[in-house]
Amino acid sequence: MASKLLEKVRDGVVNTQVWRSIFRHGYPSNDGNRALIMFSNVLLHLHPVRVKRGAVKVRFTWCLGGLTFFFFIMLAITGVFLMFYYVPDTRRAYNDIKDLQNVVYFGNLFRNLHRWSAHAMVFSVWMHMTRVFLTGSYKPPREFNWVVGVILLVVTLVLSWTGYLLPWDQLALWAVTVGSKMAEATPLIGNAGPFGPQLGMTVNNDIRFMLLGGTVVGQSALLRFYVLHCLALPLIAALFMAVHFWRIRKDGFSGPL
Amino acid sequence: MKTEKETRGAGTPVPGQGTPDPGVSRRRFFTLVGLGVGWGGFLAALGGTAMASFRYMFPTVLYEPPTVFKIGRPDEFGAGVDTRLQKERQIWVVRNERGIYVLVSICRHLGCTPNWFGDQRRFRCPCHGSIYDIDGNVVGGPAPRTLWRAAVSLDPVDGQIVVNFTQRQDPDPKSTPEGLMVNEASREEPPYFLKV
Repeated sequence: MASKLLEKVRDGVVNTQVWRSIFRHGYPSNDGNRALIMFSNVLLHLHPVRVKRGAVKVRFTWCLGGLTFFFFIMLAITGVFLMFYYVPDTRRAYNDIKDLQNVVYFGNLFRNLHRWSAHAMVFSVWMHMTRVFLTGSYKPPREFNWVVGVILLVVTLVLSWTGYLLPWDQLALWAVTVGSKMAEATPLIGNAGPFGPQLGMTVNNDIRFMLLGGTVVGQSALLRFYVLHCLALPLIAALFMAVHFWRIRKDGFSGPL
Repeated sequence: MKTEKETRGAGTPVPGQGTPDPGVSRRRFFTLVGLGVGWGGFLAALGGTAMASFRYMFPTVLYEPPTVFKIGRPDEFGAGVDTRLQKERQIWVVRNERGIYVLVSICRHLGCTPNWFGDQRRFRCPCHGSIYDIDGNVVGGPAPRTLWRAAVSLDPVDGQIVVNFTQRQDPDPKSTPEGLMVNEASREEPPYFLKV
């Protein structure tokens, strides 16, 4: 009786589109499935075992995904350059940016490359998403990669937002003050959101507090945003990009563009 | 319909013309020029970026302590070794019977900061045990040279001692049974000594 119920629950979870698009193999109860676990995981098996003929054919594309990736590489390189001079200290950050612009040789070049690449990446990632939507390329079997793409879009936007605070000027301070104020209105986990107060959320224990490391945009927020911007988010983006590109290889391009 | 000229390959002499074809067709010439400009431009951009990146790594503004600084008037420093400025300025101000000199408190072995022991009248380095006397001569340990003395002068306006931390006296020491020694009289010359 109990085992019957358990089986029903299992089928309810496993026999869904979401589960099947993430785990593309059955239980590892035979050699075939055990091998599939390796082959169908980008982290365990970087290059697909089998690539469809159409997937390797180079055709005309809009290049929007490629451009986004190009800007990401550009941002990673110029970002490392900026890290040599920038100190995430509220007393120094603004002056370090001014030094980069006016004192350091080629500092303004690298800063502007970083800044414009960031704007261009946000733009191209939106255009990429629009193209995928208009050509219907989000439909099965590519629905899994669409979801990965949506995650990458969000990561890109958060990267852009966290980088916005680092110059520590008036624009940065108030943009992040406004942006984090929105986090207060998150349902359940924000102190001004629906059911937040009822669950005991206050200014110093909700999601905004966790994000800023304090109740105002101050030194802790600057340091947190710096670490997120330079370390955590680029790593997350790189990981999802690996899955994204690998999935394109597996699924092939969506058709004659 | 093809003309006679078009059917000929490059380099084939044209009958009735004195100068032979130069051997490089127009198409080939422009291909080579295009490749040259393209790759040349690409390599120039690459080289320029490499040079810009290299120059970028040499800062033009430093957030470091100043290397030329005032330390006060000579009458503020009594006889013997004054260690007040060791932490802030990495120097010892020493007064003997003849005047004032400034020792740089950097051990000549591997750069640690020695300490002054007044009872022993010795500078002793905590890292590897180098020992210096009050003149900076090496009387023990691995130090290969004597302590540096920094250049000093008197400010003509307020009469304070001005120390140039990077301009240093570094004479070749003589190896003696007592240690590595330098003739003191030869050291007590401007700009490394103040007769005050």
